[in-house]
Amino acid sequence: MNAILNIKVKILSKEEVAPNIFLIKLLAPSVTQDALPGQFIHIKCSTDHYPLLRRPLSIHRMDKEKGRIYILFQVVGEGTKLLSQKEVGDDLDIIGPIGNGFNIYPESRKILIISGGIGVAPLLALCEESIRQDNEVRVLMGAPKKELVIGEENFRKLGAKVDVATDDGSYKRKGLVTDLLEGIIKEGWLADQIFACGPKLMLKKIVEVSLEAHIDCQVSLEERMACGIGACLGCVCKIKTRDKKEGKVKYEFKRVCVDGPIFEGSEVVWDD
Amino acid sequence: MAPSLKEARWFGMIDKPNLEVEIAGIKLKNPVMTASGTFGYGEEFSPFIDLDRLGAMVLKGITLKPKRGNPPPRIIETPSGMLNAIGLQNVGVEVLIKEKLPYLKKYNTPVIINVSGDTIEEYVELAQRLGEVSKEMGVAGLEVNISCPNVKKGGMVWGTDTKVTYKIVSSIRKITTLPLIVKLTPNVTDIKIIAQAAEEAGADALSLINTLVGMEVDIYSRKPKLANISGGLSGPAVKPVALWLVWQVFQTVKIPIIGIGGIIKIEDALEFIIAGARAIEIGTANFVNPRVTMEIIEGMEKYLIENNIKDINELVGSMKI
Repeated sequence: MNAILNIKVKILSKEEVAPNIFLIKLLAPSVTQDALPGQFIHIKCSTDHYPLLRRPLSIHRMDKEKGRIYILFQVVGEGTKLLSQKEVGDDLDIIGPIGNGFNIYPESRKILIISGGIGVAPLLALCEESIRQDNEVRVLMGAPKKELVIGEENFRKLGAKVDVATDDGSYKRKGLVTDLLEGIIKEGWLADQIFACGPKLMLKKIVEVSLEAHIDCQVSLEERMACGIGACLGCVCKIKTRDKKEGKVKYEFKRVCVDGPIFEGSEVVWDD
Repeated sequence: MAPSLKEARWFGMIDKPNLEVEIAGIKLKNPVMTASGTFGYGEEFSPFIDLDRLGAMVLKGITLKPKRGNPPPRIIETPSGMLNAIGLQNVGVEVLIKEKLPYLKKYNTPVIINVSGDTIEEYVELAQRLGEVSKEMGVAGLEVNISCPNVKKGGMVWGTDTKVTYKIVSSIRKITTLPLIVKLTPNVTDIKIIAQAAEEAGADALSLINTLVGMEVDIYSRKPKLANISGGLSGPAVKPVALWLVWQVFQTVKIPIIGIGGIIKIEDALEFIIAGARAIEIGTANFVNPRVTMEIIEGMEKYLIENNIKDINELVGSMKI
């Protein structure tokens, strides 16, 4: 794994791309250099002790040549609210890049990327890398309503075919993104790999469908996180492991921060 | 122009103040230690700080057998603090010895192992095992955790009962010559009598406080926010409570005290020392600022120089009332 840094980086731009959803651009050449799609940075949002903890946010896009990273986030609490109020030119205290990142297999040819809501955050960088590795990429996006479909055009510009579903039918197809997934499989477009990020229930369903279709599926998970560097064991999720001796399926708690945030969908235990 | 502090020291114009302290017979370069459970097994922090500069490292609490820990969610942020219910997830003592301690051997910083058990026999066996390898693996001492709020056997926390405290500490004392630090819980009616019991049973030092038991409720699902229902509160929010208890215990026992609880900046650390702590452990602040230990060591030296104090030991328990 690449080195994790704790540095101050400058905010180059900030934009509210949808109601309560912000895109910030950071000048962070040392982070960008080694960062992988699917990794995140851990941001100190407050300047005092409230809120106390950092906020883990996915790397949305990176521009390695210019040394820039983009963070896309939704304001959901005090930390993200403070972050949204930062000004261009401010310094941000970050730790990163953190995590394992998505694993695109060299033998893959067709890749399916599925986002739910703000779960789109880590997927643009992944799409760019998938296309760079000569994959045919399709993207399925789900959101509650039209305004919350984020960055559809960015995926298209990269060369991916994009389908969208909204819960209320205010844009494109009415329904869930998992309906689109079932449709695409019926249609006979079988990916070599599926990558997904979004609400837990959505991920669970995607993993079920992908297992049935025998498609390898990686999911990006989130949990409440404290240190972000593997020390506190606060952000664990339940992961199946195989007992080597007996071949029995067991489980253990793995850290989302450094063992993840990307896990094989088939290994995640969703019952909690 | 008057020289800056750094220049003055560089030119030998100021004697470096003494930061060395002795805790439980262990010599520390400075009073800054790490609190168990907030510093992993040390290696996690090596990208950020020079582990050699720490006074001592207290590692993640260990048990005889590996522990899976509590289900998530395990943590929740609270005003100026956090609740955690990790449930002592750890690799077990054998993996600690084989895979974690070798990494730390290259550092010249005392390594203290925080130990927990479900029975007195487990504490004893664990202490014995660590005693056997202490020279070879560089174990400087044990911090006996009789106060984890998230792992209870039969609904009881060991460290809330004077007799049980005495029994655990004296049982470990009998079988090991390793320095023993006993970590106390604040969740008691009178911490002084527990502190006394630990001292009488042969503790070489006391560390306090462990976390305060608390909980938070989700008003929409009406479920507790932690899967374990309750968790341990830590962070700046608990500092005044911890300071008060350190002061209480300082007036009660003769053995050295390690102050723990919400230290996030140099002023906090100094408050604990003035209230009677000979050393301090930094916990939750490591999650927010991985370099916090270094900043506090630097701040301590600066404070001593600026206030013309030659030795940190002069400051211990110097509170004027």
